[in-house]
Amino acid sequence: MNVNQQLLPFYYWLESTGLSHWVNHNTAWLWPTMETLHFFGLSLLVGVAGFFDFRLLGGLRGVPVSAVKKFMPWALVGFSINLITGILFFISQPRVYAANSAWWPKLAFIIIAGLNAMFFETKMGERMLALPPDADTPISFKIIGALSLVSWFFVLYFGRMLAFFGTQISGL
Amino acid sequence: MMKMMWALEDSAFAQWVAGAPTIWAYPSILTFHTVGMGIVVGACIVMDLRLLGVGPEVPVERLRVLFRPLWAGFWLNAVTGVVLFVAHAAEKATQEVFYVKLGLIALGLYTVVKIRREMFPEGADTARPITARVRGLAILSLLLWAGAITAGRLMAYINLS
Repeated sequence: MNVNQQLLPFYYWLESTGLSHWVNHNTAWLWPTMETLHFFGLSLLVGVAGFFDFRLLGGLRGVPVSAVKKFMPWALVGFSINLITGILFFISQPRVYAANSAWWPKLAFIIIAGLNAMFFETKMGERMLALPPDADTPISFKIIGALSLVSWFFVLYFGRMLAFFGTQISGL
Repeated sequence: MMKMMWALEDSAFAQWVAGAPTIWAYPSILTFHTVGMGIVVGACIVMDLRLLGVGPEVPVERLRVLFRPLWAGFWLNAVTGVVLFVAHAAEKATQEVFYVKLGLIALGLYTVVKIRREMFPEGADTARPITARVRGLAILSLLLWAGAITAGRLMAYINLS
């Protein structure tokens, strides 16, 4: 992949950093601990974001959308745990991940889900507050909720597939 | 006992799950097991967070909606879990950490049932007030699910034959 070849010096630089060495040459417990934290973060993110998406799709009628949104900082906590552990995984073996054909779609779906959430956060605030609690949610809310559920599912799917797709992109 | 585990593992079905060169066998079943985990633990997290004071404007009785996906996720994982077990029965049956995982899941589900009984009595429309006891159950629930996830993850690392 062309992008990977252009990024090759960056991957080598990452591998030369102290952080990369730290992850690679740590005790046997560090990797399973990071994986376990990654699964905690997953549950927090998927559970809380899924609950909010359910409201955006029109569930929990009668409860203001803004009331359900009060849970969302916890989804962000889950996302942050996974961003940190995920970056550490990547820094430890950048060429292995970049050569994995499941990694790029996973990254793409994280970006889609992230932009989707940021779009709601920055553009939909007034509509959210103006929406009567008993009213059906507008189509825009439904699209955002569905897109969120679908993209997090694919993040999880391609994350799991990392172990099975293996190295398929050559040139590294 | 071990004879039975070997027989399970040698069955045509187990061989297909473990060895079929398609992502529709082991990889997809494992993915659905992870999705189910996210649903079960995620639903419990939302419930526990609310009981611990997050999102106070969401009426507690509305959290009843969480039970249906929670149990659907549980059954998804019971089924995918049995299939994943059968695929490597002899190994998993000898892993102590596997039994620790099962025990923690059983205790986690016990907290779910307890919270349901304490908060949502049969036939009542409104939830009961959140007592210190219920908050304790919510914290216990979070710890037990964290423990179950840890034990599940460790199955790939310890007690391997």
